[in-house]
Amino acid sequence: MDPIRSTYEADPDMHEIVCDFARELPARVAKLETLLSARAFAELQTLAHQLKGAGGGYGFAPITEVAARLEQALKAGAPEPEIKDRASDLCATLRAVVVPEAR
Amino acid sequence: MNPQVPNPNRVLVIDDSDSIHKLVIARLRPEGLEVIGEFDGERGIERAVADQPDVILLDIGLPNVDGFEVCRRLKEHPSTRNIPIIFLTGTADTESKVRGLDLGAVDYVTKPFDQVELRARVRAALRTKRLQDILEQQSFLDGLTGLWNRSYLDRRLESELNVARRYGRPLTLVLADVDHFKRVNDSLGHLFGDIVLQGIAEGLRAYARRSDIVARYGGEEFAILLTDTNLRSAVHVSERLRMSAESRHFEARSEIVSVTASFGVACSEEIGPVLTPEELIRAADVALYASKDAGRNCVHVYRNGELLLTTGDPEALGA
Repeated sequence: MDPIRSTYEADPDMHEIVCDFARELPARVAKLETLLSARAFAELQTLAHQLKGAGGGYGFAPITEVAARLEQALKAGAPEPEIKDRASDLCATLRAVVVPEAR
Repeated sequence: MNPQVPNPNRVLVIDDSDSIHKLVIARLRPEGLEVIGEFDGERGIERAVADQPDVILLDIGLPNVDGFEVCRRLKEHPSTRNIPIIFLTGTADTESKVRGLDLGAVDYVTKPFDQVELRARVRAALRTKRLQDILEQQSFLDGLTGLWNRSYLDRRLESELNVARRYGRPLTLVLADVDHFKRVNDSLGHLFGDIVLQGIAEGLRAYARRSDIVARYGGEEFAILLTDTNLRSAVHVSERLRMSAESRHFEARSEIVSVTASFGVACSEEIGPVLTPEELIRAADVALYASKDAGRNCVHVYRNGELLLTTGDPEALGA
């Protein structure tokens, strides 16, 4: 997957919080994987919901898009293999995010 | 409160996600807005009551108490009822939007939100709030004298009485009535009567203290609410107000006219343990009528069932 950069990197109002958000993503990936292996689907749905709501706001439209698909699958009670696929899509997307360089 | 001092508008964000808080702060601060935040519904409601924000951004999917319930409660509470609420929704379905709007929200923003859209919607809500505040304030003003009107006084009396009770502080009500006003009106005309009322109002306002609430209570009757003031200090203020009325002169058809006013004073501490606004008004009214009966242009106080004339008698309340 290609690197994902925030469209707001250069926005002086946003630079710092985009950096913070991007830096916290590895922890979210870890949490996502933990929840998935524990089959804690309700909490997983909350996490997906939050990433969907925040991602685009930080200039990461792909996070919103992929997280929405995971949330949708969980909400619909989709079969587990499908949930796993979508969760790993989300993990891959989060891992592709590039932390902006300090300015 | 001085309306000329620009206050930064305050936005309260109620959302369980820290990322959203940071985002809203980054987006709204450059607009000159103060942003405060809470992460759950209960605390959000408490914060709204305590800090009186100008706009609330409210997440629907909150833990424990959801956004709809928070909205319903905020709209129920008298002190938060008029604060515009904008829902932050993660889901774009029509049903939740309609439900939110039906509960009294003014608008909604779908997460992830576009910054331009968020700012524009917040600005629009602030505009509405400002107009609403102005209208509300106007509805509490007396058109003729520019003083507060009766409904404002009634409202303040109730809340000040609660404060007085809670903190054990005295609250005093002074009622004043222009003497022989009907005679003035009948002989010199209603327009002249209006000028007299405006003049008396001006005198009351000038001679009351900053913290006193001066209102036109009806016709030629005025009410002055003195917070944190005992009977003795209130009598002092009332005498000053009485003299301000007496010393005013009005010119009608090359004739100099002066009027006087009668005063009745009652203090929350000198009536009974559990006091209603009506009881305080009644006590001040009884004292006012005692002043009328005693020949007008004087001050009487009501103290534990007793009526005392204080004008010209500095010892009336005891040493």
